[in-house]
Amino acid sequence: MCSGQCSMRFIMLMAANPISDATQPRIAKGVRLQLDPATGKTVLLFPEGIVELNETAQEILSRCDGRTLSEIVRDLAEEYDADVAALAADVRETLADLNERKLIELT
Amino acid sequence: MTAPRPYALLAEVTYRCPLHCPYCSNPVALPVAALLGEAPRRPQGGGYSNGELTTDEWKRVIREAAALGVLQIGFSGGEPLARRDLAELVRAAREANLYTNLITSGIGLDDDRVRDLRDAGLDSVQLSFQSDQPDLSDEIAGAHAHRRKLDVASKIRAAEISLSLNFVIHRRNIDRLPQMIELAESLGAERVELANVQFYGWAFLNRAALLPTREQVTRARAIAIAAKARPPRSMEIFYVLPDYYESRPKPCLNGWGQRYLTVNPIGDVLPCPTASSAIPDLHFENVRARNLDWIWRESESFTRFRGTDWMPEPCRSCPQREIDFGGCRCQAALLTGNATNTDPVCEFSPNRAIVDAILRDINSNDAARDWTYRVNPKELTVSS
Repeated sequence: MCSGQCSMRFIMLMAANPISDATQPRIAKGVRLQLDPATGKTVLLFPEGIVELNETAQEILSRCDGRTLSEIVRDLAEEYDADVAALAADVRETLADLNERKLIELT
Repeated sequence: MTAPRPYALLAEVTYRCPLHCPYCSNPVALPVAALLGEAPRRPQGGGYSNGELTTDEWKRVIREAAALGVLQIGFSGGEPLARRDLAELVRAAREANLYTNLITSGIGLDDDRVRDLRDAGLDSVQLSFQSDQPDLSDEIAGAHAHRRKLDVASKIRAAEISLSLNFVIHRRNIDRLPQMIELAESLGAERVELANVQFYGWAFLNRAALLPTREQVTRARAIAIAAKARPPRSMEIFYVLPDYYESRPKPCLNGWGQRYLTVNPIGDVLPCPTASSAIPDLHFENVRARNLDWIWRESESFTRFRGTDWMPEPCRSCPQREIDFGGCRCQAALLTGNATNTDPVCEFSPNRAIVDAILRDINSNDAARDWTYRVNPKELTVSS
């Protein structure tokens, strides 16, 4: 229709700022989390864009359903028997990046 | 080489459109015979007697695309709302687990249709605007559309569908960039796309009237960079560069036949929406004769420029060849007469002088020039 954009953006995850324990991350409007049947991996789909998630991001995003950051960290720590402090840093970093790209909302 | 899996299908469901934008990427010479219903491949009893694919044919295309690995579909045109079965097609795409974008002028999007599309599961609307001011916008569109678009934007917001505002940027509106960003913010868009016009279709025909000056481009780029960096950002801002002013070509389509396919209104399958008009010696397959899987993997139109084996010098030995893929095949064809050439935007292209001459012409005489408005197939029907 328009003579404008002609390539979809495939973006990489990168680090950004910290987020508080009480924050409730949610998947942003117009963004969909789903399985890619071709690869078996989870992807985020948004207007003209796709992000293939690594396992950490997938585990975090599947819990962005109203739970707070500290609840997400606690759930993941229990499930994977991981160090809470290290896990919290990973979760914050991933969420901050997704927020920077407007793929999640922080409320 | 083996075919990769495609990620996105652009479904150009119709060439009909109520607007007449002089930069439309649709072919200048539309396949009139087919669109007037005179083509031999016109289906019988399918509901669309004008040569366009029927509802059932589009549903089959959607299922075949999903089976190939496609995750996203863009419904475009022309104006896709001209198809009364649009919500049905959106529903079929969601049933195939595709992310659904509607790329629209908004004309024809009343309350009922917004509700139908939302209920069908539409994920996102990309609403075109021509500028921020009603008079200039309507002049560019060749129709009274701007105020209706404002109303449509609020309907999309109210239905809680993700909203992007898409502006095509050119000489007549590039100085309004800050106001366009403000308009997108005021309408509550999640995203704004400020795409400098790329010269294909009607835009190629009207290039002398549309190409901005170097001074305009420099100013606009600074504004876009500043707006992107400004915190807190309430929306995503995408700025698409004017490639004639670049020294390296755009990585068009992320490589030919790598991630995208387009199906046009009459069912021709294209590696890129502008290929049918820009590369006349390429034969395109039709979904009425072949399945999408074969067309994507095997057809000459998709394999001719897939990978790097087809490349001539200077691309063949260039370290950038897997990064920009030699640029755009359509641009090479339109500017040099040969689609196999390096995109002449590239500073290493032996044809860069062609682009430089175009820029010299515009920058030595920036007087306003007339453009030719897009003519629509519907009008062709009436006048023939």
